[in-house]
Amino acid sequence: MKKTILIIITIILTISLSGCSGYDELNKLSIVTAVAFDKTDDEYELSFLIANSPKSQTSSKEGEAKTTVYSGKGKTVTEAIKEIEQISPKQIYLGHINVVIISEDIGEDGFLKISDWLIRNPQTRKKFYLLQAKDVSAKNIIKIVSPLESFPSQSIATLIESNAQSKATATSVTYSNFIGQILEKGFDPVLPSITIKGDIKDGSSEKNLETTEPESYLVLGPLAIYKGDKLQGFSTDKESQSINILKNEAKEFNYNIEYQKENISIEASKLKTVIKVKDTQNIEITVSGSGDIYNINNNIVLQDYKEIKKIEKTWNKEMKKDLEKAIKKTQTEYKADIFGFGNIIYKNLPKKWEKLENDWNDKYFPKLNINIKTNLKINATGSLVKTIKEGE
Amino acid sequence: MEKIDKSAKKVIDKTKKLYGNSPDVNNRLINIKGTNVGILFLESSSQASTVSDFIIKGTLYAGSNKNLFQNIFDTLKNSLFNSQLFTINDYSQFPYFLSSGFTIIVVDGSSDAIIMETRAQLDRGVTESSSEPILRGSKDSFTESHSKNLGLIRKRIKDPNLWFDELKIGRRTQTRISIAYINGIADPKKQKEVKKRLQKIDIDGILDSGNIRDYLIEQKSIFPQIRSTERPDVVSQALLQGKIVIFVENCPFTLILPTVFIDYLHTSEDEYQKSANITFTRVLRILALIVTVFTPAIYIAITTYDQNTIPDKLLISLAIQREGVPFPTAFEIILLTTIFEILRESDIRSPNSMSAAMSIVGALVLGQAAVDAGIVSPITVIVVAFTSICSLIFTDIDFMNGIRTWRFIFIVAASTLGIIGILSFTIVWLIKLASLENLETSFLSPFAPLSKTSQVDAIYRAPEQNIYTRPKYISNLNPHRQRRSK
Repeated sequence: MKKTILIIITIILTISLSGCSGYDELNKLSIVTAVAFDKTDDEYELSFLIANSPKSQTSSKEGEAKTTVYSGKGKTVTEAIKEIEQISPKQIYLGHINVVIISEDIGEDGFLKISDWLIRNPQTRKKFYLLQAKDVSAKNIIKIVSPLESFPSQSIATLIESNAQSKATATSVTYSNFIGQILEKGFDPVLPSITIKGDIKDGSSEKNLETTEPESYLVLGPLAIYKGDKLQGFSTDKESQSINILKNEAKEFNYNIEYQKENISIEASKLKTVIKVKDTQNIEITVSGSGDIYNINNNIVLQDYKEIKKIEKTWNKEMKKDLEKAIKKTQTEYKADIFGFGNIIYKNLPKKWEKLENDWNDKYFPKLNINIKTNLKINATGSLVKTIKEGE
Repeated sequence: MEKIDKSAKKVIDKTKKLYGNSPDVNNRLINIKGTNVGILFLESSSQASTVSDFIIKGTLYAGSNKNLFQNIFDTLKNSLFNSQLFTINDYSQFPYFLSSGFTIIVVDGSSDAIIMETRAQLDRGVTESSSEPILRGSKDSFTESHSKNLGLIRKRIKDPNLWFDELKIGRRTQTRISIAYINGIADPKKQKEVKKRLQKIDIDGILDSGNIRDYLIEQKSIFPQIRSTERPDVVSQALLQGKIVIFVENCPFTLILPTVFIDYLHTSEDEYQKSANITFTRVLRILALIVTVFTPAIYIAITTYDQNTIPDKLLISLAIQREGVPFPTAFEIILLTTIFEILRESDIRSPNSMSAAMSIVGALVLGQAAVDAGIVSPITVIVVAFTSICSLIFTDIDFMNGIRTWRFIFIVAASTLGIIGILSFTIVWLIKLASLENLETSFLSPFAPLSKTSQVDAIYRAPEQNIYTRPKYISNLNPHRQRRSK
């Protein structure tokens, strides 16, 4: 008897005392999937993309979600959030943030000023994508609706994922590895940038979904180069590709070379970059990989082995030139060690690094001697030997 | 013991009075050379034609015989045609034999009575099993006839070591109960213990094996610890493993002791089909068990406490579906599960002609209309339907009900404590299951305690020719079931 009473008391206490802490019904939540950070004058402007607003009251079917953007302003990030919470009728839920976009102003001001809130919040995942808005405000980017994905944050995420695999101009950078790179010694981070093509107003309305050719859409731009947590500038597309090759991020991409005054398109694959430290002044980089010929518009006959060798040689030469150019620019213009050469020196020669550490970006990195070797091979020519022509 | 009166007429009158002059008490008084021969039988339980053909004809024939012995009693005893004929001298046994369909012959001047079997066919024939259907294997099932049931087992196991130990339980019903076991395989200690427990029962009536089940277990539990089956092949498999089976008169369901948890996940078919595929089927059954116990609870826990664990697109889809539903998720689940349980219960009770109407109402009201009316969200219907389908994999009704009880416990735990609640109550559940023991056999054998040699037929099923031993946790007497080929 005594035992049963004890068991009943234990059950009642566990149920009643645990309370409903953390208890949330799904329809009482505003699920935030994208966050945009903007800065105007002295105030931060925070925008949340809420993914689960139903189209109408009676609809309960899947895929009929509409998105809503709420934004708030404040001197600090928390103040801005407080303002959003006042507007939003439901509780803000941050567990499913997919994409965070920061504007150029925020980047120039320093990313670490806003990152504290994102890390401190226990709800947020730390694996969301981080992007740099280029030319437009971050808020406008999360507003653009895409006809192929059900909500904007999803379209941005798929855009990055597919791009990182095939084009090599942008890479996917998650929040946690961005912060990691800022904090690491001898390393400066890069961010993929995103921008809008077309009219912003049309793109954010449902009309954008009704036309066959969208009025406006999102495009991934070149890489944004950071020094520490501060934005330095944007590279060009060609440079972005080179940076990604050197950072070992690009595995597959398309490369155009000029050979006998004609354009040849090569699909590069299995790219591998090895960086070796000789001493604190000299670094040796070997880029190896292979490529398939995709597109030729002239009389080159690929049956000839020597011809292929010649194309290969041109490709190696042009690639080397591109890589050198990209490195030179970061060394002189941005003075940001985005390739992590300093980090490699720190890992290999830790004692020597101690002396270099303080002046690395301004003094030693720009003077670094970098020797690039390329070892690229053309493997296949596709299923054609000669280009198709009239009269043959 | 009560002596039988030496006057046949007096015995007949006494018996009639004993039965309160019920019209089915039939008697015949035949006078043979001055000696009265009384014939007594119950019209309701005896076959009247058998009585006329063999007993009355035989008695009259014996009377007309010129070379009649001095003693009519001995003559009758030796000349009547019947395979079951014996004498008793105790009047108190009369009602049992009469009600069982025997005919009693009393002779003037004799203190003994002749008893002959003239039972009427009061049961149906052997039919196909309705509660445990299988695809591959024998189709017969037990009936209400005790001797037929024992015959179905004798037919399968011809070894004379198949022994039946009979008891009569129930002061008024006098129900025959047989403890069947194979001498030399089953543990005699366990058999004696079962008999001891049965002998302790002192009750007015036993109508079904379900009545005696609770006397045979040691610890109380929601789960049944004794498997009941109406399939003779399941019983034969159990006997060959060294288990003890209890047959109850007038009941097609037998009890198998000792039963372990994994037995509920096995079917007799498992031994007849290809063993490699059976392992997969058993894994599916375990999966179904886990699904049917945990799915509603996990759904509640992750949608109300741990939304972080749901993929983005699914979460948004779930949130949209829940839009406009007025009740909390836990209430929604409990509501739908309760409706389903009521539907299942009424489906068992309702006559066949109504089941079509029931399924239409059930499917439309439960599935479509409730969603359209905004009472429940579509995903809840899916969760409950999935759970219910998985629970139908198990044939034992007591086992299903045990699972159902735990499902509700987990739902309450999940709606108050989330994932942590499910986890802690899973531990409670496992402790409860592991602490069960009957006849020195742990309920979670052969997993806890682990028996490596018995793993050949637990979840994994080895090919028949590789299973050499009987499960050790049942009986250790004679472990070899198959000789190793040389």
